[in-house]
Amino acid sequence: MKNIVVCLMPGAQFDKSTAGLLASARGLKGQLTVIVTGTAEDDTTASLANQADAVIVAEAVGLNEYQPELVLGVLQTVCSDLNPDIVLMAGDTYSQELTPRLAGRLGGVSAGDAQSLTLENDNLRITRSVYGGKAMAVVELRSTPAVVWVRARSFAPAAPRDSSGSIEKRTVELSGDAAKHVDATKIVERHEESSGTVRLEDAMVIVAGGRGLGGSEPFEELKSLAETMNAQQAASRAACDAGWVPPHWQVGQTGKKVAPELYVAIAISGASQHLMGIADAKVVTAINTDSDAPIFKHCQFGLVEDYKAVVGPLTERLKALLS
Amino acid sequence: MKTLVCLKQILDPEIPPRDFTINRDSRQAVQGSANLVTNIFCENALESALQLRERSEGEIAALAFGPASAEDSLRKALALKADEACLVEDDSTAYRNSATTALVLAAAIKKLGEFDIIMVGREAGDWGAGQTGGLLAERLGLPCVTFVDHIEASGDGVTLRRQTELGWEKVEVKLPLVVTISNHEENVPRIPKTRDIMMSARKPVTNWKLSDIDLTDEDLKTTGDALDVIDLFIPEKKTDCEFIEGDSLDDKIDEFAKRLAGIVQSA
Amino acid sequence: MTLLAALNAADATREVMWNISHSWVMYVLLVPTMLIAGYGVYKQVQKWRSGQPAARFDRPAERIMRVINHVLLQQATLRDRFAGVFHFMLFWGMITLTIATTVVLIQHDFGIEIMKGRFYLYFQSLFVDVLGVLAMLGVAVLAVRRWVLRPKKLVYTDESTWLLVLLFVIMGTGYLLEGWRIAVTNDPWGIWSPAGIIVSKASLAVAGVGTLKTLHLFTWWFHLVIVFGLIAWAPYTKLLHVLTAPLNIYTADLDHGGGTLKQIDFESAQSFGINSLEQFTWKDLLDLDACTECGRCTSVCPANTVGKQLSPRDIILDMQGLLDRSDLASLTGKADGQQPDEYDPAFPIIGATDNLSSDALFECTTCAACVEICPVSIEQLPKIVDMRRFQVMEQAEFPQQMQDAISSLEERGHPFKGTQLSRVDWAAGMDVPLIEDVEAPEVLLWVGCGGALVDRNQKSTRALANLLKKANVNFAILGREETCTGDPARRIGNEFLFETLATQNIETLKTHNIKNVLTSCPHCFNTFRNEYPKLGGNFEVMHHTTYLARLIGEGHLKLDAQATEKIAFHDPCYLGRHNGITDAPRKLLKEVSQQPLVEMEKHGRQSFCCGGGGGMSFVDEPADQRVNQERAKQALATDADTVAVGCPFCTTMMEDGINAVKGDREMAVKDVAEVMWEALEGK
Repeated sequence: MKNIVVCLMPGAQFDKSTAGLLASARGLKGQLTVIVTGTAEDDTTASLANQADAVIVAEAVGLNEYQPELVLGVLQTVCSDLNPDIVLMAGDTYSQELTPRLAGRLGGVSAGDAQSLTLENDNLRITRSVYGGKAMAVVELRSTPAVVWVRARSFAPAAPRDSSGSIEKRTVELSGDAAKHVDATKIVERHEESSGTVRLEDAMVIVAGGRGLGGSEPFEELKSLAETMNAQQAASRAACDAGWVPPHWQVGQTGKKVAPELYVAIAISGASQHLMGIADAKVVTAINTDSDAPIFKHCQFGLVEDYKAVVGPLTERLKALLS
Repeated sequence: MKTLVCLKQILDPEIPPRDFTINRDSRQAVQGSANLVTNIFCENALESALQLRERSEGEIAALAFGPASAEDSLRKALALKADEACLVEDDSTAYRNSATTALVLAAAIKKLGEFDIIMVGREAGDWGAGQTGGLLAERLGLPCVTFVDHIEASGDGVTLRRQTELGWEKVEVKLPLVVTISNHEENVPRIPKTRDIMMSARKPVTNWKLSDIDLTDEDLKTTGDALDVIDLFIPEKKTDCEFIEGDSLDDKIDEFAKRLAGIVQSA
Repeated sequence: MTLLAALNAADATREVMWNISHSWVMYVLLVPTMLIAGYGVYKQVQKWRSGQPAARFDRPAERIMRVINHVLLQQATLRDRFAGVFHFMLFWGMITLTIATTVVLIQHDFGIEIMKGRFYLYFQSLFVDVLGVLAMLGVAVLAVRRWVLRPKKLVYTDESTWLLVLLFVIMGTGYLLEGWRIAVTNDPWGIWSPAGIIVSKASLAVAGVGTLKTLHLFTWWFHLVIVFGLIAWAPYTKLLHVLTAPLNIYTADLDHGGGTLKQIDFESAQSFGINSLEQFTWKDLLDLDACTECGRCTSVCPANTVGKQLSPRDIILDMQGLLDRSDLASLTGKADGQQPDEYDPAFPIIGATDNLSSDALFECTTCAACVEICPVSIEQLPKIVDMRRFQVMEQAEFPQQMQDAISSLEERGHPFKGTQLSRVDWAAGMDVPLIEDVEAPEVLLWVGCGGALVDRNQKSTRALANLLKKANVNFAILGREETCTGDPARRIGNEFLFETLATQNIETLKTHNIKNVLTSCPHCFNTFRNEYPKLGGNFEVMHHTTYLARLIGEGHLKLDAQATEKIAFHDPCYLGRHNGITDAPRKLLKEVSQQPLVEMEKHGRQSFCCGGGGGMSFVDEPADQRVNQERAKQALATDADTVAVGCPFCTTMMEDGINAVKGDREMAVKDVAEVMWEALEGK
């Protein structure tokens, strides 16, 4: 019976990511505690309690927003009390940032981007995509705690448990090791330049463009197509590196890993690095002039045409169909 | 400002899929005819360091942990005018996890001296673990900011810009610290001048064995065992894409639109 | 007197220096004239001599032939029919008039009586008179061209205007002098000077003999002053080309049609690439002074045609400006005071003017159309590459996408960053023999990066391999051992990387004991043929069109099927212009198609670039300045169904270009090998 702790970042809600994360934790046999950092809405804690044995709402001065050293110190303090075998986090920037550091603080071992979690020989095993999506690795974490961030959105949410877990509010005072560096870094400005209002990771439909678009203007055209389908816009690394669209639009190994119901790849050839980011998409389709483009190997269906001739009429057609 | 940039040499991530093979026994990729290259995010980190030095002076040291071939990555850093370079040579071809790498880098950094900013790539193009930066910070007892794409000296501290899912954040930090560097159009790696490439061949590269930084194989075994690769395999790819057919472009678009609409409506 | 009697007249002559006294004044004037002119020439010669060495006096027989063809026969000049014909007239007219003047000199100053009899009548009178008229006509038409037709390619300067006016005045006054002398002396042989006699008759109709005699005297001195003035001024104007053009043509690059790139000794070179005039060779500097501002180079430049900054003419003229410091007003791009006041051999030239900007230099596709068309053998292309080298190797500042290509070449031996293909993917399921599996292959099929690593070209490469198999050719490929020949590195300007790749390839081929290389890429072909020998790699290399033509000629390959499509052939620059191979592909296409071969307006050695050379295929051009679309329009102007090409770069550039601008029209792009294989397969 493992002692499993799930850590949520300030501002976390019971969304697809949190639900997936809890589902991944519940797939492992164990005592499940959720640590919520900062204040949380009552219905959020209630939903969490439906999925876990215990929910700890950790409060501390300044914890209403994410500051890396503060949140790290709080998690370290609470986790030290809980003495977990496994600590799980989601795939957001903050969780990714803190995963190795919490492992370091707790004397454990860390890993990221787990796509599946199992217990073997009493150890946590994860599978993860490596070599730019060309290979899969099964990795065993043999030291405790095993601190892992998981590709949370790719886990299907689990049904609520029969009985609700406990909810405890805990005020945390940082001291010793946990208190150091709290003043060393401070996030002073936060900018959201979302391509829409929904995070790419949460998007149900994504329209992505690639190198073949040749510039920033065609992304404007794709915008109306995306709006018609209520989709988010995304891009390949080539398009982001060229500065045609902002870096956070990037989907792929080094960008977002997305899990939409529908992913429409336009003028994207499908380098494996890109494909790695869409491995969890339900339906992938592409518009590309080259029928040999690797992207088609990952498509359920595809259109071999020049996007220039397609996007305009396609948007009109979809408007009619979806109205 | 003294900057240290950690460089990892990896198997060329652009190796074509057909050329990519793995050895299931050693659970590592086979190099074959592919080249070893410097991890792109490490190159982004070096570029960020070079730009920082251009803006506010200082020195840049480059550090690598890997086989003798990793000296190439350091030579390239020297060609780009890094001030010094140090290789901790790994005699073993065994897989080294992030914990081991962080252990070795931390020991080497302690021996190299004091640095204001220690930069690592956000992750490597081979194993893509993304753990080394954070683990290194903990080993060194330093704060850490990840996914940084711009560094600006301000007063006695430094202001960072870092990427988040939805945009970016400005972070004010005190030195020293560890940052992991992400890619941005601003830190696309420059290429060295030919003369500097030729000159770099003659510059010294400090070469240390593990014993030089007071580590033993046993130390590395401990961190190595804590996280082990059980299996490595190439997943099967599905190849059954159905290409939309039609007598005319209009027909094809019609059919394509219907399919998309069907999925969107049920989503 | 009858004409017949005149023919036999041995005593036919005329008095030289008739009506002129104080002729010593002429000699006095001649001294400063020659001093000024001499100084002008001397000054330039000194500047050329300050250049770096270049061996351009070998193979004199070939060089003399060049001079005969391009100076005396004006072959290159005549390629522009209109301007060429009138320049031809002016050229030979002026030569003739100069000879005539020399004859007078011999007679008058050396006292040798040669100006008499038949020679006097046939040459000195009739021939000179007619040629002079033609020269005047030439000047007049060229003036009309300059002032009325105003073609875009010319440079419009006051200097050009004055030169034409002076030439016209000199010749015009010459005829007046001749006519008035005939009139006053009632020259019995006057009929032999048709223009002279007309002037004579016309003048007598309006003026008396005395008046004409006085007019003659004044006009003679006027004529003399103008002639001496022009002689003195000429070396300071573009008229210097009278000297520099023949010299430049004699010292032309004989090996590569002006496209030979210099080698660099990396151990000793002060600078990798060129950023000042003193780093050029004397021949490069002579080039600058040989320019006649005819503008043909810029008019055929693909980059300039689509509206880019690059202009080979202005690169030459701006450098000439920096060499001569004469016409600074025409140099734009730097504020006054940022350019030196006088000739500064070390002044950095890259970026000195807009035309010499780095951006412009990196727009060049290295197609060599400029070099090919230049009537005076100026080598624009090597200079552009020299300056690119400086930007690449000394500055490391050049377009990002070219940097990506260079980095990819360094790291993985091919320029196609991000390709998903391996060197052997195209051969999947085809049983193409690898070099290690073949004992002694007859030919090595050098697939090339373009043929192997670009999706589109896999089909062409497969077609070629299929044809070879069909013809039972004992061939092999290097597979993963192959790397780029270095062509893109060299054209982009990274000579160091080129040498590294070239040395490595030569080594590989020698290890495998390869003698014959077959390649479908004209860039690889050119490198093997013209550049590897200088690095010790001597291989017999053939382009696949030549080789396939040979296979057919020798009966190894039979084209029993016939294509029904109408085909136009697009000559790849590195096949046609750089290497003179234009017949072999056409022979194949005529063989394979039932339809007559269609020609685009610009074809053969005058073909227009697809836009892909010189590393430009790795660069995203601005949407409204794409060379491939310009060439696509030229292809679409024919009634061809298919554009056949013989280069993997051309294939993708042309296909993209045609798809972008074709509208409703259908036009396919296929490699010649593809056309042939499809025909054989009965598609």
